Amino acid sequence: MPVKVISPGLATSVQDLGRPGYYHLGIPISGGMDRLALRSANLLVGNAEGAAALETVFLGPELEFTEDAIVAVAGAELPPLVDGEPRETWASFKVKAGQRLSFNYLEAGARAYIAVSGGIDVPPALGSRSTYALGALGGLEGRNLQVGDVVALGESGNSVREGRSVPGHLRRLPGTPAELRAIPGLYWHRITEESKASFFDDTWKVASEADRIGYRFQKGRSLNFNERTQPFGAGSDPSNIVDSCYPYGSIQVPGGTEPIVLHRDAVSGGGYFMVGTVISADMDLIGQLQPNMDTKFVEVDLETALAARRERRNHLERIRESVKE
Amino acid sequence: MSPNYPRVLPCGDSALTIEFGNEIDARLNEQVIELDREVRRARLPGVIETVPTYCSLLVHLDPVNSAHADLILTLSRLARDVRPQPGKGRRWRVPVVYGGNFGEDLDALAKARGISPEQAIELHSETTYRVFMVGFMPGFTYLGGLDPRLATPRRGTPRRRIPGGSVAIGGGQTAIGSIPSPSGWHLIGRTPVRSFHPDRNPIFLFEPGDAVEFEPFPAEEWERLEAQFASGDAFPKSCA
Repeated sequence: MPVKVISPGLATSVQDLGRPGYYHLGIPISGGMDRLALRSANLLVGNAEGAAALETVFLGPELEFTEDAIVAVAGAELPPLVDGEPRETWASFKVKAGQRLSFNYLEAGARAYIAVSGGIDVPPALGSRSTYALGALGGLEGRNLQVGDVVALGESGNSVREGRSVPGHLRRLPGTPAELRAIPGLYWHRITEESKASFFDDTWKVASEADRIGYRFQKGRSLNFNERTQPFGAGSDPSNIVDSCYPYGSIQVPGGTEPIVLHRDAVSGGGYFMVGTVISADMDLIGQLQPNMDTKFVEVDLETALAARRERRNHLERIRESVKE
Repeated sequence: MSPNYPRVLPCGDSALTIEFGNEIDARLNEQVIELDREVRRARLPGVIETVPTYCSLLVHLDPVNSAHADLILTLSRLARDVRPQPGKGRRWRVPVVYGGNFGEDLDALAKARGISPEQAIELHSETTYRVFMVGFMPGFTYLGGLDPRLATPRRGTPRRRIPGGSVAIGGGQTAIGSIPSPSGWHLIGRTPVRSFHPDRNPIFLFEPGDAVEFEPFPAEEWERLEAQFASGDAFPKSCA
């Protein structure tokens, strides 16, 4: 019972919770950038939380269903339409055979997750259905959806019903300015005291280079480096280090000018120093940032980050409870 | 002031880095690779995956399920006790076509180093390299051991896209690219061998600790070599 792609939207890809275990070979985890939204959408249609769904960014696709299905759209406020009739986000609704699912203009956030009862059924690659376009792996032939694609769906269970929703207070989108909590680290000592302060004081703007690999920020003050002799093998710019692994969420600043936060399709390593790491609880929010949005990095310590991680887990638990009722 | 190695550094709340030093050095890399083996063997609760690099090991964690501090202690102990095991890797011979369309920076790089392109090819292909790290892109293979006469700072402006299989020099390192990617390195040649091939078993060829040698071929041989290797049906014999 496949779904036909009438128009693919700007960049729509199959994503689940990703493929850990291959980063040491250069293959990133991939999977939904906003995991909480992906899980929510799946819960709403009665799927396993980690089932494959469609991640769409800024501009939604148009899809024709060949069989009845339950659908939910969570994450960005990208209002769904069924044969042109509006439906709620963060809620499950029915799409009948022959009907078309399309979207109105984006109202907030950046990425919406379209879960369909039964989940998107593409062959798993290295244990996941997530699309890693750079490596042409997973998803539909390792790429984003195209016009004319036919997307297969899995068998849906019997817990599927329409009319479920996630209450407003449990939906999560970035505020204004967006705040990304970060722990200074690794090479923090390489920059001057003044630059340490300006990094967290400045309001940064999301650059147009903002995708699944990473988000670039600009308009803050450049960072200045403490003097040192470059270690053997490191590049000649003071922002260069001997090539090393880039953790997810790590903030690298090539040339000291524009910070880049690496995300789910991260390049696994390289020769740029990192000032710190965005905490795991705030990674989902990055996936909802639009270009030009004001963003502040907020300094936190490890204890705060671990507490935020627990809180995020509790938040997910509350979503599970709310959808069950 | 030089730090006390090995040391454990947090990278946010879901990763730790264990550093053995901050330079390119085979002995440091052997320690990293051995620690990686130890950590995998130990199957510590809360450890999701590990990534060995030149001189450090990155460990991804899920600290909700395990005490963060306990993991730091355990990993520190493993790192302190690690005994490097040199010479465990395999040995590969990789065909390369140098220069021309296959390595458009070769001439400029040779000129900047005050040698002829032929000498540059000779220097590059007479060395046995060590695979220090795989990463950046799937299968991108970092090699150490470059003749210092070829060391060249990275390009001021990176290229947006270089072909798969590019053999390049960046600073004191050389590398074998896998899939097309952006790059600030100097392209000196290309190999039809794919270090990453999703439809092949094995998917990846080179691993940290392996040894790699380059075998120069004339440009006329490219099509034959490509037919042989790029499909993924064949790969260079490891001549251990």
